[in-house]
Amino acid sequence: MKSSTSLGSLWDTWGITAILVLLLAVAPVLTPDFFSLDNAQSVLRESAYLGIVAAGMTFAVASGAFDLSVGGQLALCSVVSLIGFAAGGTVLAIVAALATGLACGLLNASLITRLSVPPFVATLGTLFVFRGLSYILTQDGPKTLPYDQIGSPFVKIGGLNVAGVPVPFVIMVGVFAAAWLLLRRTATGRRVLAYGSSPEAARFCGISANRLRLFVFALVGVSVGIATLTYITRVWTADGSAQDGFELKVIAAVVLGGTSLKGGKATLIGTFSAVLLISVLNDMLVSEGVPSAYQRIVLGGVLIVALTIDGLRTRFAAPGSLRRALSGGRTPQPGPAR
Amino acid sequence: MADSSTPALLRVDGLTVEFPGVRALDGVHFDVAAGEVHALVGENGAGKSTLLKVLGGLHQPSAGTIGLAERPYRPRRPADATHAGIAVIYQEFNLYPDLTVAENVFSGREPFHRFHRGIRYAEINRRAAELFATLGVRIDPTAPVSSLTVSEQQLVEIAKALSVGGRIIVMDEPTAALSADEVTRLLDVVRRLRAEGRSVVYVSHRLDEVFAVADRVTVLRDGRHVRTTALADTSPDELVRLMVGRDVSAMFHRDDVAGGDVVLELDQVSAGRQLRDVSIVVRAGEIVGIGGVAGAGQPELSQVIFGALPVKSGRMLLSGADYRPKGPDDAMKAGIGFLHEDRKAAGILPDLSVRHNLTVSVLDKVRGLFGRLLSPAGELGVFDTFRKRLAIRTTGPDQLIGQLSGGNQQKVLFGRALAPGGRLLILNEPTRGVDIGAKVEIHHLINEITADGAGVVMISSDLPELLGISDRVYVLAAGRIVGHLTGDDRTEENVMRCATTGQRVFSATVSG
Ligand SMILES: Nc1ncnc2c1ncn2[C@@H]1O[C@H](COP(=O)(O)OP(=O)(O)OP(=O)(O)O)[C@@H](O)[C@H]1O
Ligand SMILES: [Mg+2]
Repeated sequence: MKSSTSLGSLWDTWGITAILVLLLAVAPVLTPDFFSLDNAQSVLRESAYLGIVAAGMTFAVASGAFDLSVGGQLALCSVVSLIGFAAGGTVLAIVAALATGLACGLLNASLITRLSVPPFVATLGTLFVFRGLSYILTQDGPKTLPYDQIGSPFVKIGGLNVAGVPVPFVIMVGVFAAAWLLLRRTATGRRVLAYGSSPEAARFCGISANRLRLFVFALVGVSVGIATLTYITRVWTADGSAQDGFELKVIAAVVLGGTSLKGGKATLIGTFSAVLLISVLNDMLVSEGVPSAYQRIVLGGVLIVALTIDGLRTRFAAPGSLRRALSGGRTPQPGPAR
Repeated sequence: MADSSTPALLRVDGLTVEFPGVRALDGVHFDVAAGEVHALVGENGAGKSTLLKVLGGLHQPSAGTIGLAERPYRPRRPADATHAGIAVIYQEFNLYPDLTVAENVFSGREPFHRFHRGIRYAEINRRAAELFATLGVRIDPTAPVSSLTVSEQQLVEIAKALSVGGRIIVMDEPTAALSADEVTRLLDVVRRLRAEGRSVVYVSHRLDEVFAVADRVTVLRDGRHVRTTALADTSPDELVRLMVGRDVSAMFHRDDVAGGDVVLELDQVSAGRQLRDVSIVVRAGEIVGIGGVAGAGQPELSQVIFGALPVKSGRMLLSGADYRPKGPDDAMKAGIGFLHEDRKAAGILPDLSVRHNLTVSVLDKVRGLFGRLLSPAGELGVFDTFRKRLAIRTTGPDQLIGQLSGGNQQKVLFGRALAPGGRLLILNEPTRGVDIGAKVEIHHLINEITADGAGVVMISSDLPELLGISDRVYVLAAGRIVGHLTGDDRTEENVMRCATTGQRVFSATVSG
């Protein structure tokens, strides 16, 4: 029992990575061509937009909130970006995606801070608003990238490789590196963790809740904007229904990675590994020919497992607690007064 | 009085508890006779709370035995302790903020209605009111716990333990948050419990309480048993020596203050539910105390100054300039440091390490090479400074703050308030829960920062501390300033007179 804490924290950071390595070890057995260049590239390319948004979402979850509207944001950013491309080419497409993401994030933030709506409610509402807007903009059919533009730099983002590594994956790695610096090496990142750990104590440390939430939700929006660049150049078409259920996939990845829904703790390494895990799992299901309905059930299972682990994790605090947790005993652990 | 010939009710032998990197208890023995009050003393981190948590079934020892009435006692969960007749008042509160006082007192043991299976509210409210009557306090059993002051929360915890009706009542620093008269009444309750033949294990850093109420005392140091003795056979000085391992001079040295410029001025400020027309002045280099009975508005006053409570009317001036903070962030930018009185709910950041808990107030100052990124070395420097100065007992900078003993958490939070080093420091209960040595050190530090030209506002329910440290004392009663004591007028009688009767006492030598 002595080492339960250190073992616990080791699991927090590396547990999901270990499972990923295990999965990669068995993958070729089930899917013989899993490590073929084509397949590997496709898995990495596919993981990018999920990963980029999950990196942003890690900050929201670390601050004790989450953003349910990212699916709607992705659809809206994609549609607006395609409209931008049609009107002004690569530059406008990129600017449109990023600006739309930022605007969505700022709208969420102002609903939460100005109207004092809980993040859960506010972003559940804007999820529908953003999807609704996307439908309105695509009333006369989905927006698409025209085939004759295949040579434009924008369209190439999704398909290009650098030394065999897909560009979307390179972008994702860059986003994670930046996110890690932001979280671990800046005052803002530290404040996010402090606020998520105890909003009341954070207030008396001079951390402004409004400014913090503005930052966090804007960050999520920008991350969706960046993800859009890798997403839309891969699927080439978008309307209001794009990536239905995306928000749950993102939250599942973050929580599965080891970031606690209670806030205050975050691990970007965990998020990164969990994103790859979900993508690998997805790829295996697809190449085994499992129908998409069953793929959703698997995702649901992953979400339940992630949340169960998150719940168990909080019980490993005191020596002897593992035994108590297993024997079903309960300790009165009300949260701090907030 | 118990001696070795009377059979012990509770007997602990060779008890060892290990955490990663520390042995909190190392072969400790300890026994309690029926009808005895047994005090447990030691420095911050000596292992007192750990021992009590083992008795309460929260921690499992790695070695050792416990006997209760000659039978082995091995609690695995809190319910085991309750069944065995052991009620524990823990140092950290375990209250549900959204439930009522009475629901908290009887949580897990609510009497249910025979027909509709609902909680019998009339009954728990009545019984809670009776418990508070025996404690001599007025707390509304139907009020939500989140509306209570820290001292009221402590009293709810005490009522909770008393309601169990156990044969051994274990109290971990029950008086750390109580005012003088509440302490007096609690000690009466302890004596009554003893008269009823029950045993009490009593942990406190206040030796006067220990001498007033306990029969025997056990001293712990570094997780080891040092001595158990009858209080009649020892003295406070000897106990301190046993706890610390050396002599501690409790003398407070106050450097002469040259009445500096006015740092803070409140002019007829009203705020919150009760603060009315408060006018105070704080000069550079001064320690200004705020006294009064609990709930007279001291936390509100400190929070108004820190921008955490909006001003309704009146105005504030900082170094002569208009000062209207929109929040604590504005106050901190203006050079004000703050220590909250509620360590658990508004102090510690439980998921963060000791180092990060300390440096959260100076994130703008521990920047590294690029100007924007935090410097881990800079943060370690801050950590090292305060760990040495305040003797913070921790396995290292990355230990979670929740794993520190209560007094060591308090030291970290004091360091956090002090670290920015601005022009004004607001300290709510700066020495709550710290041991004698650390208390002296904190007083030295307060003295030092005033020598550097900062003004200090100190709120303390420990009257001797308040009067001993402060240069001047304002007394609050029901949200109004009813007294201002300087020089020889700073006496306990004067403070109590204004605080309880509302009689106004203002020293002639009003400065400012
Ligand atoms: N959950 C935990 N994990 C790791 N270490 C712990 C834990 N709880 C206590 N400790 C360590 O055990 C030692 C004893 O702590 P304990 O709380 O018993 O001290 P204490 O005598 O009650 O001190 P105080 O007077 O400050 O309350 C300390 O060094 C503390 O850091
Ligand atoms: Mg303790």
